[in-house]
Amino acid sequence: MGDELVALGGALVAAGLLARLGRRVGLPTIPFFMFAGILFGPNTPGIELVEHPEELELLAAVGLIMLLFHLGLEFSLGDLVSGGRRLLGAGAVYLALNIGGGLLFGLALGWGVAEAFVIAGAVGISSSAIVTKLVTELRRLANPETKLILGIIVVEDIFLALYLAALQPILGDAQGAGEAVAQFLTAAVFLVTLASVARWGARTVGRLLASPDDELLTVGFVGLAVLVAGAAEKLGVSDAIGAFMVGLILAESPVAERIDRLVLPLRDTFAAVFFFAFGLSIDPSAIGGVIGAVAAAVALSFVLNVLAGVIAARAHGFKRSAAANIGLTILGRGEFSLILASLAVAAGLDARIGPFVALYVLVLAVVGPLLAAHSRLVGDRLPKRWA
Amino acid sequence: MTTPTPRLGLSLAAVTEQSMPGIGHRFDLPADDGAAVVVVLHHSGRRDLYVVAAGNDEPRASVTLSDSQARTLGAILAGAYFKPAIAEEIEAVVGGLLIDWVTLRADSPGAGQSIAALAIRRRTGMTVAAILRDHQATVAPEPTEVLHPGDQLVILGRREDLAGFVHHVVG
Repeated sequence: MGDELVALGGALVAAGLLARLGRRVGLPTIPFFMFAGILFGPNTPGIELVEHPEELELLAAVGLIMLLFHLGLEFSLGDLVSGGRRLLGAGAVYLALNIGGGLLFGLALGWGVAEAFVIAGAVGISSSAIVTKLVTELRRLANPETKLILGIIVVEDIFLALYLAALQPILGDAQGAGEAVAQFLTAAVFLVTLASVARWGARTVGRLLASPDDELLTVGFVGLAVLVAGAAEKLGVSDAIGAFMVGLILAESPVAERIDRLVLPLRDTFAAVFFFAFGLSIDPSAIGGVIGAVAAAVALSFVLNVLAGVIAARAHGFKRSAAANIGLTILGRGEFSLILASLAVAAGLDARIGPFVALYVLVLAVVGPLLAAHSRLVGDRLPKRWA
Repeated sequence: MTTPTPRLGLSLAAVTEQSMPGIGHRFDLPADDGAAVVVVLHHSGRRDLYVVAAGNDEPRASVTLSDSQARTLGAILAGAYFKPAIAEEIEAVVGGLLIDWVTLRADSPGAGQSIAALAIRRRTGMTVAAILRDHQATVAPEPTEVLHPGDQLVILGRREDLAGFVHHVVG
């Protein structure tokens, strides 16, 4: 027991300290949690906090569940609809460019088709956490284009949930077509059931959990999220989707706002374990083999993000500076890329995906905020007739 | 004293409210010279205050306040520190609990009636916590207390019950 506790405590302290250093110079926390895992894991020389990464496995899974649960909880059809069609359009253009480009890029790498789909998601979907933090810290909340940025993020969050569900058959371990179909059907029935509960039974579930006592409410929703995630995993749907659906159900309940407040410290703690644990799985000696691919992916994301920013800005009549702000802010990559990569690692896809996504996220963690803060430099270089 | 108007949410015509997914709520208050003050209420309780000049996208100034700093600033702006007499304009909502000040007029339905006769708590769900009359405060008045024109009532209750109270007692 002592070993596991030292591993867990050490992981959190190391991740926290390293991320603190990063925050000092305005860098996002998530990539540094992962970086701590790489540094203090069994694959690097020096201090080795965690000898057996599997010691953190269960708590890392809880981290993933909390991340997706919170995403489901924050999901609001109202936010999506209130933005109007132009906002949806901006999100759709962003996704078409970045997921489409990412998929072509993944196929061009030649690591495999399943791998290409994972890479498309990892390089194509922005990090909500990093982007919202960036616009807050760069003091751009009052800028007109910020509404558009947050709208694109909302569209991306929903897309991520759908994408995770769609990836499941690709990542699954089905043997042969019959089993794959059976798995797909179980998953579909499970998801439809949960979606029906979200649509018609949310108030009932809310009433079952609702307690004026924060303690009881917390025990209830954490239990429900983990239980459904586990059941989903057993049925071959993936724990991530199960947790997302529970969040979605509770988002419609009267206790949604309180849960939203109560889940944050849990999510932050266990998600840090999740990112750290992902870092542990990365062998730094494998990073050398993916540097070229990462450089190309970063360049591709930069171009496609700025392009999406220009298109969105034009559609809304914004200036070039706003176009650069949009493109360079939503360049942030973090939790979703790491979630997809960890799923790919767990599914036993090409081993290069782990180091590839880790390095990609780390590079963008440093380059992204710098570019976003100095977006004027890019904006001034955009052709005048573009916006 | 001017007519006390129930202030349900920010129904002031000039202020626009928008939700900011993942961050909180944004309120825009246009100033007279074409500039605007933008207030962002984060879910975390943090407040960001932006001043945007006319025809400019980038804010001219911004400041971040904690929850308590923001409340203090709000009270100063509302004149609560400098001029308590206009306290009837103050309304505070803490965790769903609303504290408000209303002033009775001569023609208010509640004027000349006792709290018990008005059945304020039963009929409206609000509670009269104190009465300010001629600069004298009566805290937690008896049900037999008769309300007079000019009385300032400090009332407690849920925000959604305020309108009913104003209709029943203040008119």
